[in-house]
Amino acid sequence: MKQILGYILVLIFFSCDKGGAETNAFANPTGQGGSLARFTIVGNYLYTVDKESLKVFDISNAAQPVFKNTVAIGFEIETIYPFKDKLFIGSTTVVHIFSIVDPAAPKKLSVAISPNVIRRCDPVVAKDTVAFATLRANGECGGTGSILAVYDIKDIFNPIQKGQYPVSEPYGLGYSDNVLYVCDRVNGLMVFDISKPYSPLFVRSIVNVKPVDVIPYNNVLIVWTNTGINLYDITNKLTPLLLTQIN
Amino acid sequence: MQGYAPVYASRQVTNTIVTEASRATVRPGKIYAYGNYIFQVEQNEGIHIINNINPQQAKKIAFLKVPMATEIAIKSDHLYTNNLNDLVVFDLANLSSPKLVSRIADAFPAIDQTFPPFTNTYFECADASKGIIVAWELKLLSKPGCRR
Repeated sequence: MKQILGYILVLIFFSCDKGGAETNAFANPTGQGGSLARFTIVGNYLYTVDKESLKVFDISNAAQPVFKNTVAIGFEIETIYPFKDKLFIGSTTVVHIFSIVDPAAPKKLSVAISPNVIRRCDPVVAKDTVAFATLRANGECGGTGSILAVYDIKDIFNPIQKGQYPVSEPYGLGYSDNVLYVCDRVNGLMVFDISKPYSPLFVRSIVNVKPVDVIPYNNVLIVWTNTGINLYDITNKLTPLLLTQIN
Repeated sequence: MQGYAPVYASRQVTNTIVTEASRATVRPGKIYAYGNYIFQVEQNEGIHIINNINPQQAKKIAFLKVPMATEIAIKSDHLYTNNLNDLVVFDLANLSSPKLVSRIADAFPAIDQTFPPFTNTYFECADASKGIIVAWELKLLSKPGCRR
């Protein structure tokens, strides 16, 4: 039955290829963004960050967002990343961690600070009880000595940096199972084994690309590059293979 | 000398939203995956819509022109983005022709209308009579009248 349905969908797609109606045959209600996003959706709420604040919109009715709340955060806010009932908000100085147990009224829990890099840009992703952030300490972000930082977030009120790996000019990052992909303008797309998360093991770098951010999406790694998008097959997660470029 | 110049636009221009044929990516922006589709911002111009049913042959199907768009999020076939400072929502029932279904005006803070977001720089003085400032562009200026 599934196979028949698949055929029908393929037929619908081909019959509509020339500017007709193209419909999305996928049931998952929310999509997936990169680590540099300023918009994110959790459940029935859209969260957005601007330079200094977090805004909350109720999207129970997807077509009619209702503004609910503005929460002041700090300065130079750059990114927002949802993880379970929390939001990780990256800025040029720290990572702010908010609870969304009450989804319309996010509440600040703690701040993750790296002792190694004072001023930087901080996209962040979280996995289980660990958070990974790239701390970029050059260009417009100031500071020196960029790193991939690993925080222990078991005690969410007291995140502690427990690991780090030196990088050059890092931007976005993302993981699939035990493999972490880090975008670096100098080193390219860096692949780390994070089976031991506090000791990220550098495996390889794909150097012929200038990546900005990634979305690991099933067996495909979507990479935002300086020319558009590269798609890599990550069936073998440690060995991304280029599928195509969309420029 | 090098300095910043305001880029002006009228509300009429910034609010003009249309779906166009797919086009080449010039200033690639943020990415978003939804079902069998990928979306990529063309910085400050709009959103490329990419069919990813077969990743080896992923291809653009349309360009959603949304002036000054930088962000994307999607839920239940509805795409949220920013049209300058407004939050706008598109119905994606037909992905080759998304339909604008709502707008929250001034949902986000406006870009500074008096000076560029940098210090120690010369810039062309802002002139409100020319429209709203949608960006500050670094370029060669002949006689910049302002400095900060």
